[in-house]
This record gives sequence, structure tokens and C-alpha cells, in this order.
Amino acid sequence: MKFIRLEKVSKSYDGEVILDNLSLEINTGQFFALLGPSGCGKTTILRLLAGLESVDSGKIYLGDEDITNVPIYQRKIKTVFQQYALFPHLTVFDNVAYSLRIKKLSRDMIKSKVLDALKMVRLSGFDMKYPRNLSGGQQQRVALARALISQPEVLLLDEPLAALDLKLKEDMLIELSELQDKLQTTFVYVTHDQFEALTVSQRMAIMNEQGDIEQMGTPKEIYEFPVSRFVANFVGSTNIIEGKLHIAQNSYNVEVEGLGLFSVYTPVEKFWMIPGCRLFISIRPEKILISKKPKEGFANHLMGRVVDIIYYGRSTQYRVRLKNGQFLLVFEQNEEHFPQESIDFDEDVHLYFQKENVVLLEH
Amino acid sequence: MRLLNRIFSEEYPFVLSCPALLWQFVFLYIPFAILAIHSIVDYIPEIQSYVLTSVYYVQIFNSLYFKVILRSFFLAVLTAFICFLIAYPVAYYLAMRGPKKYKTFLLFSLILPSWTSLIVQVYAWFFLLEKNGFVSRTLQALKIISPSFHLLNNYFSILLGMVSCYLPFMILPIYAVLEKMDKRLLEASADLGADKYETFKRIVFPLSLPGVYAGVLLVFIPSFGEFAIPTLLGGSKYIFWGNVIVDKFLRSRDWRSGAALVIIGIMLPIFIMLVGYLVSKIRTAYQRAAYQQKTNGPKDYWT
Amino acid sequence: MVDNKKFFLHFLNPVIVCIAYLFLYLPISVLVFFSFNDASFSVSWAGFSLKWYKKIVTSPEVLSALKTSLIVAFITTFLSVLIGTAFVVASKWWRNKFITNLFVSNILIPEIVLAIGILSIFTFFQIPLGYGSLIAGHTLLGLGFVIPIVKARYSELDPVLTEASLDLGATHFQTFRKVIIPLLMPSLIASSLLVFTLSMDDFLISLFCSGPTVQTLSVYVYSMIRTGIDPMINAISTCFLVISSLLVFLLCSLKVIDQVISYE
Repeated sequence: MKFIRLEKVSKSYDGEVILDNLSLEINTGQFFALLGPSGCGKTTILRLLAGLESVDSGKIYLGDEDITNVPIYQRKIKTVFQQYALFPHLTVFDNVAYSLRIKKLSRDMIKSKVLDALKMVRLSGFDMKYPRNLSGGQQQRVALARALISQPEVLLLDEPLAALDLKLKEDMLIELSELQDKLQTTFVYVTHDQFEALTVSQRMAIMNEQGDIEQMGTPKEIYEFPVSRFVANFVGSTNIIEGKLHIAQNSYNVEVEGLGLFSVYTPVEKFWMIPGCRLFISIRPEKILISKKPKEGFANHLMGRVVDIIYYGRSTQYRVRLKNGQFLLVFEQNEEHFPQESIDFDEDVHLYFQKENVVLLEH
Repeated sequence: MRLLNRIFSEEYPFVLSCPALLWQFVFLYIPFAILAIHSIVDYIPEIQSYVLTSVYYVQIFNSLYFKVILRSFFLAVLTAFICFLIAYPVAYYLAMRGPKKYKTFLLFSLILPSWTSLIVQVYAWFFLLEKNGFVSRTLQALKIISPSFHLLNNYFSILLGMVSCYLPFMILPIYAVLEKMDKRLLEASADLGADKYETFKRIVFPLSLPGVYAGVLLVFIPSFGEFAIPTLLGGSKYIFWGNVIVDKFLRSRDWRSGAALVIIGIMLPIFIMLVGYLVSKIRTAYQRAAYQQKTNGPKDYWT
Repeated sequence: MVDNKKFFLHFLNPVIVCIAYLFLYLPISVLVFFSFNDASFSVSWAGFSLKWYKKIVTSPEVLSALKTSLIVAFITTFLSVLIGTAFVVASKWWRNKFITNLFVSNILIPEIVLAIGILSIFTFFQIPLGYGSLIAGHTLLGLGFVIPIVKARYSELDPVLTEASLDLGATHFQTFRKVIIPLLMPSLIASSLLVFTLSMDDFLISLFCSGPTVQTLSVYVYSMIRTGIDPMINAISTCFLVISSLLVFLLCSLKVIDQVISYE
């Protein structure tokens, strides 16, 4: 099994440090996403992998091979650029055939491979067209075919869907996912859009603005069990409440100023959880139940007043003001056309959540 | 005030464009018309009227005037070619490889010599190359040439002058195109496996051709009509099209055949541009035809 | 083997650049150098002296030629920019798009042909040559520069700005004055500087179209060259060079140089 491995890689640009001793491992055949805010260095990592930039220090491995100093045109890593970078003076056919022509394959071989590649991205019949006559989605598929035709070991995608509108984006994500599944090539997908990352990747890494990797894991792990407030906030929205930890026999509780004691799950071996320490609770808005009438069976209960309602179509978001002045976001799925209970502005509501549905964060 | 407004709005667009068009007509198109008419008309005193004649054109093709035109044509081609050979690497270096901070400075220090009067540049070469001048005496001292060898007044000195005057006009358009080129295309090419040489051959050079074409136009056409450089640096040893025209119009006052020469001289560059235009039209038509074919098109398309 | 070839080309590139620089600068460097020469016949170096500069400053022919050149240059610049800009602004409303390419021919056609044209029309209508014909010819050239440069900038202007101005209550003429002209300013300045230098430097049209009474500086230099080497020419040439350098420096510092490049 080949890995992509970045070992203690540092990169500065114009005196500004972008990456500092960063290490990263990606498994073969995976759809891997690198998620982070703009400017965090994720594109830099991509460019280092492609060979467009060279590292200041550190090493890059592709499997057993040290490719740190291998020039870009010799690497078995190909890129789909953000604005596709299709050659305007070449037809679609010539664009896709480019890397094969460099390798000096035979004319017949090139022809059959190109037509197959176009079929794979569902662009058969477009081979004589020029990039300027294609739509954004079509151009992107040409860029894909062009990069994949030489069967690289890794495909890098630099925010490829940034220029597409929402519906097209959703379709392309599915296509990309199916493509990767069929080819089993390692895809490294860089984006700042968490929706894209969550949808399409099998494993992802979150980077913060300082260029460090905050967390790595499957989308579900990252969403449900973030390790820091940054991750919790960056992926999806969440409520963060600060408090003090109390441990009594086997039950863990968090005391929040002005709100009282909350019952939380018993965590697995967290060394930093000393009784009395300061920590943060993260609760996802969809995990809070909002109701006008009181309910039974929940470990934690809060009272609040609705100050804002935003209708999202499939869900409604409520902003609720708590007793201590804090605000909580609550999502409720719009399950019914005509709900029995409708919540209005300025109403007093009950909020409930279970102790298993929170995450305890140190920082 | 209302009138001014109407002039500047869409109601009377012609008012604003009039002066320029008028100028162009009066000082350019009408003179050419006059010249054209001059060249095909002859005044016969016996019958006191004008007749249409092609004698002046025929004269040109039969005589050494034709040689002159060919000579000018050849000089222009040579100049353009040598300028291209030197200008392309220079433009490439400035646009692609030069230090970013000084790019504009380097470019303009390159343009500076040509942005002085033609006279100054020509005289500079004249001064440099003349028999008792700096270069001659140095080369004589180094025993490379003999004391009677003339650096000036030959074809070589004319070419030197031509190239040095027109080189920047070839550099600028090529530089402009190379500079504006989307660098991401070059990255994509490298990513796909092409080294610098392949990338140049397949991407950079084809995309720079419009600039090359502009440069060739800017150099070829004026150098065809160049007369000062051959006169001053060639010492009247060679006669070019420009010289003949000067002679016809200023000295021998032979306007009719002079006009014919002028017309032929303009026709040449126009003809060349037309050819270029037609060639590009044919290419697009051919490509369109190839597209009409089915996917398994003719084998010779897949090169 | 192939790699060697590629490496060689790679290395040759900067070498060619150096040669080009040398080629372009050697003659004029020598020219300038020898303008400070003390000797009468500038074949050998006799010491540093400013006497030739003194001579040109006191020579009546040089001064009158300079005056002529300056007058023609200023008027030409003014006319070219005025007429050219008017044309560009109006060109938006012409249905036929190719009309703006008309003026490119002014630069592409060999200057000598332009000169002959001016000469012939003035002679045809029996108008004596002089300042009029000079300005006519120079402006013709000037239009060929002004119109593409200003047009390039004008077509980049977002039409939304004009719409916004009108929407806010300005008349067309006010919009022109307050919005369009300021936005066009870089190209106007660039083309003015260009046309001015062009007119000062111009030699061919001036030779043909100035007639017996009027002489510009370039033509004066030409006539001097025909009689042989004279250090005064070196001095005048150096002055020309200084003016051009100033222009390039001005263009660079005003950052209008991109206008010129984009025109090319």
C-alpha cells in the first residue's frame, strides 16, 4: 500500500511562514480532502505535492520513493487546476492527449486512450471543440480527463468546483466520487467548502490559519467528535459553552456560570480532564430539542427566549437567548407541512439535549 | 449647452468623429486617390486631354525599378528575420526569466535607444563605423582589418542600422504577448509531464504567434520604405525603393511614375496582410470541416 | 544528447540578451562620449570639453530649428489628442466596428508614403508648404498612436460608470468631463508624451513637407550629416537622447507605460 507522506515540511513565501514542520500521511486509493480557511496553506501543500514549489525543509515520499527533489514533469502526480488551465489553442482532443504526446506514444494508442478518457467523463463527441466553446462543467471534465489519462498515482484537485453553481456542484461531487471509486486512484481534494469535503471524502484533514493540521479522520469523526473549537466551528455550526468540570463517582458534570450544572457523557481517558479544570462543551444545533411544552426523558434542560428565526427550507434555525445572556442556535427539521406546535418570536421555550450528544473540548 | 450635450450623447455621434475622419480623408485618402489617378493618367498635349494609361506601371516592371523594389523587399525580409531571431530570445527572457522587480526598467532601457530620432541612431552608427572612427581604428590597431577596409558604405552597415533601429519594434509586441500569457497554462503543461523545452515548443511558442505577427508587421512594412538608413549608411551605393521615390518627387519631378511606384509600394504590404488574413481564414475553415467529420475522422488529423 | 541541447539553449538566452543590449547601446554611448570631445574632428579623444554644447546653444540656426520643432510638436500633440479622443468617445456609437481600425494604417504605412501624400495634396491645391503641411503630417501620425491607446483604455471602462453618472443626474457632457476624462487620463498623458516625442524626432515627413522656409531640428541634423562628421551633431544628438530618456522616465514614473504596452 503506497502512502503519500509529508515529513516535517516547512515552506515560507516572501518571508512569511506558511507551513512549519508539517507532517501528513494519506493512504492509497483514498478520496482525501484537505479543508481549511483561505490562506491556511492547503493550496501550498498541494503545490508542494505537485512539484510546482519546492520545500524549504522536510521530505515528501510517494510510497517508498523520496520525491522531494524530483522535478514536476517527472512526478506521477497530476493536478486539476482551479480554473482548469486548458490550453486555448488546442482542441479538447489535443488537450487530453497532451501528456501522452509528450511520452511519444503511438498515434493509434493515443487516439483510443483519448476517446476512452472522454467517454469516462461523459464528453464523447466533444473532441474537436475548443475550450472556449465549452461550459464550465464541461471544461472541468476535460481537465479531469487530461489529468487522469496518464494514470497517475495521485490526482490533486485544487478547489475544482469553486466556479460552478450549486446544482452543478452537487452533481459533479457525485461524479467525482464515482470516478474515484471506479479508478481507485488516490484523490487529494483541497477546498474551503466544508460541504464539498464532507460529501465526497473518505478521510479528511482540517487546517487552521496558522498552517497546522487540527484534526484528521473520517468526515463523520470530524463532524461528530471535533477535537477543538476551531474544528467544531469550521465544520458545520455549533454552540460552545464554557464551564468547569466536576467529577462525582462515575458521572461527569460541567458547571456553567449562570446556568447551573450539565450532565455530560463519561469520556474515554482524557488526561487533561482534571476536576475543576476549565473546558468547553460543544453541542450541534440539530442535537437540541426545542419545544414550547415541557418534555420528559432528557438529561439536560434549559429555558430561553426566541430572538431570531431563519427559515432554511428543510430546517428552521432558532436563536435562543438564555438566562445568562448567552445565545444558542437550534435547528429543527421541518417535518410537517402543518406543525402542531409553531414557535414564534419572543416566545419562551424549553431546550433539551442528551448527555451523549455533547463533545468536551479542551481548547 | 444643450447642443454640447446632444453632441456627447448618442444623438449626434458623427460630430465628434468628424474631425478625425476629415483629417484622415483630406491628408491620407484623397492624396492616395490623387496619386492613384496620377499614375494611370497621361496628358497628351496634341489632343489636349487626359487618357488612361498603364505605361507607368509597365515601365516599372520592365526596368531596373523592379530590381529596386525586389531589393527593398529583400532587405525588409532580412531585417524582419534578423530582428525576429534576436528579439524573440530577448522578449522571452524579459517576460519569463527576468528578475521581476526590474522587468519594466529592463524593458524600457531596451526601448530607449529607439525612442530617439531615427537620425540620431543612424548618425550614431555612422559615427561608429566611419573610416577614421573609433571602431575602425581599434580593429586596425588589433590588426583584424586593413587600413583601407571600409566598415561603412556597404550592405552590412545598412543591415546593422536597420536591425538596431527596428529591433525594439519586434521586441515589444512579443514581450507584450508573452507577459500576458497565463502562467497557469505553463504550470499545467509541466504538471502533465512536459519539461521547459517541450512546454515552449507546444504551448509558449504557438500562443506567442500573434505577437510575432504584429512584430513582423511593425518591422517589415516600415523597413520596406526606409530610405534614410540606406542613404546615410550605404553611401548611395545601393538604391532602394525609398531613394527612388525621393528622387522622383523631389528631384526629377517625375510625379507620374513616382506615383505608380508609391502605389505599388503600398500594395505590397497590403497584399501581404491580405495573404495572412486569408491563410488564417483557410485554417479555421479547414478545422471546421474536420469537425464536421465524425469522431473517427481522417487519420492524418491526429498528429 | 538532447539534454545538452536544451541546456545550451537555456544558457544561450541571457547571452543573447546581453548582446542585444550591447548592440543597441554601443553606438549611442560612443556618440555621447565623443560629444564631450575637445578636438575639432572627433576621431580621437582630446580631452573633456563642453564647447560643442556652447556652440549649439549659441547657434542661430539650431535655435530657430529648435523653435520650429517645438511649435510643431506642441500643436501636433494638442490636435492629435483632441481629435483622437473625440473620435474614440464617438466610436462607441458607430455600428460598424472596423471603423476604429482605420487609423492603424497611419503607423503601418511607410512614413515616406504618408509624406508623399501630404506633399502631393498640398501641391495639387497649390498651397505653399510650411508649418501647415508639417502639422498636417505629424498629426496624421499622432492620430495613429492616440486612437489605439485611448481606445484600449476606453473600451476597458465599465459602461456602468456612465450609467451611474447619468442616473445620479449628470448630463452627458458633465459625465464626459467629470467621469470619462479623468478615467482616461493615464492614456491621454501617455499618448501626449508619445506624440510629442514623435513629432520632435520625426524626420521623414519633416524633410518632405516643410518646404524651403521652415526647418525642424531633425532635418537640420540630417543636412549636417550629409556634409560629414561634426561634433555639433554629437552634441545635438545627446540632447535628443536626454529628452527621450526624460520621456521614458516620466512614462515609467507615471505608471502609464502599461498603456503603451497594451496598445502594442
